Amino acid sequence: MIIAGYLILCIGTVVAQATLSTMLSVNDIYPDLCLVLVCIIGFLTNEYKGLMIGLTMGLFQDLLAPGGIGLNMILKGLAGFLAGATTHTISAVTPSVVVLITLALSLGCGLASLIVAYPALIGPEAFHAIVGTLLPQSLYHSVLAAGIFWIARKTRKAFGMVHSRQGHR
Amino acid sequence: MAMILEGPLYVMASIQDSVGNTWDHYGALQEVWVENQMLKQEIQRLQGAQNQLREDAILATEFQKLSMYQATAPMTTMPARIIGRNVSNWYQAIVIDKGANDNIHAEMGVVTNAGVVGRIVRVNQTTSIVLLLSDPNVAITGMIQTSRDEGIIQGTPQGSIRMKYLPPLSPVQVGDVVVTSGLTDDFPRGLYIGHIQQVTKAATDLFQSGEVTPIVDFSKLEGVLVITAFQPAIADESLSSSASLPASEAAP
Repeated sequence: MIIAGYLILCIGTVVAQATLSTMLSVNDIYPDLCLVLVCIIGFLTNEYKGLMIGLTMGLFQDLLAPGGIGLNMILKGLAGFLAGATTHTISAVTPSVVVLITLALSLGCGLASLIVAYPALIGPEAFHAIVGTLLPQSLYHSVLAAGIFWIARKTRKAFGMVHSRQGHR
Repeated sequence: MAMILEGPLYVMASIQDSVGNTWDHYGALQEVWVENQMLKQEIQRLQGAQNQLREDAILATEFQKLSMYQATAPMTTMPARIIGRNVSNWYQAIVIDKGANDNIHAEMGVVTNAGVVGRIVRVNQTTSIVLLLSDPNVAITGMIQTSRDEGIIQGTPQGSIRMKYLPPLSPVQVGDVVVTSGLTDDFPRGLYIGHIQQVTKAATDLFQSGEVTPIVDFSKLEGVLVITAFQPAIADESLSSSASLPASEAAP
């Protein structure tokens, strides 16, 4: 049942990404909803769930992307794993921590995607891609992730659900 | 004796009337309220239906234009609907509702009645991914319509389009129309790409290049035509030249 729920979430997010991303764009910067969701799931659960959901969501995303299959799968899986693993090393995952970690993960994933998409990109065009797209996109991701994380945590508290990481400690 | 009862009877009757009236009116109001709610729901439903009809009409007009173009265009095309858009900031792409089941292959060209849209890069069973002309990973051959100078049309990471490798002595000017040259096997010759917005040539550059404003607004696409077959320009020329030759010379 939980697996089916996660599958529906993965498919729903990828479909939303393909159909609603233009509505969510800010100044022609499109958010990667899959990356944001994968990070949040990593923060809220653990590294293994983050990894599995990241791999699944990345695979679905690859099916609709022009690049080869594998890039999004690896990057999203890695992002979910690292987001989940972060909760072991940091005493309390707060929205500000989510902002910083998501920013770092988004920058890493974005840079890898940029290199794969445009391997020959150098000079002013590369600078423009990094400053004009990669940085704003990463900032957007981090703010979006922090907002969703905050709402998700409040909802969990309201329904009396204990944070799995806090439960272990 | 009867007089004694008349007064209270009248009073009682008037009270009964007023209570009855109030009750009837209240009941009627209740019915009106219920009816009002139902009518409001009906209005909402009809507004939704009207909006859907308007949307269908716009789509029908769009597809009618494509259909008319399809009938007159010098190539075989297949209409397709756009069902998704770019899923990342790194690719300018759309998803169409035609795939391998419809005999769509990678590298096929995609156009609208206005002009060139892009090229298919991946084909799934029922969907295909089209890279738009504004993506740096797409490059097609184009030419200036008036001077017939050829160059390469390629997107930039900023989402604009450039025409590269124009001959250094080409008299290219701002406003010149750019069309496909037909040298690659995905687009026939003469399809509208856009017009030159700016011409640049640095002192150290061997070639000229120009910024091209595309004729197609990629953000407002709803339907496209996939080019499934066409007669290449070179074949056209050889056919026409062979037609002008005597039969004995034209024969292989």
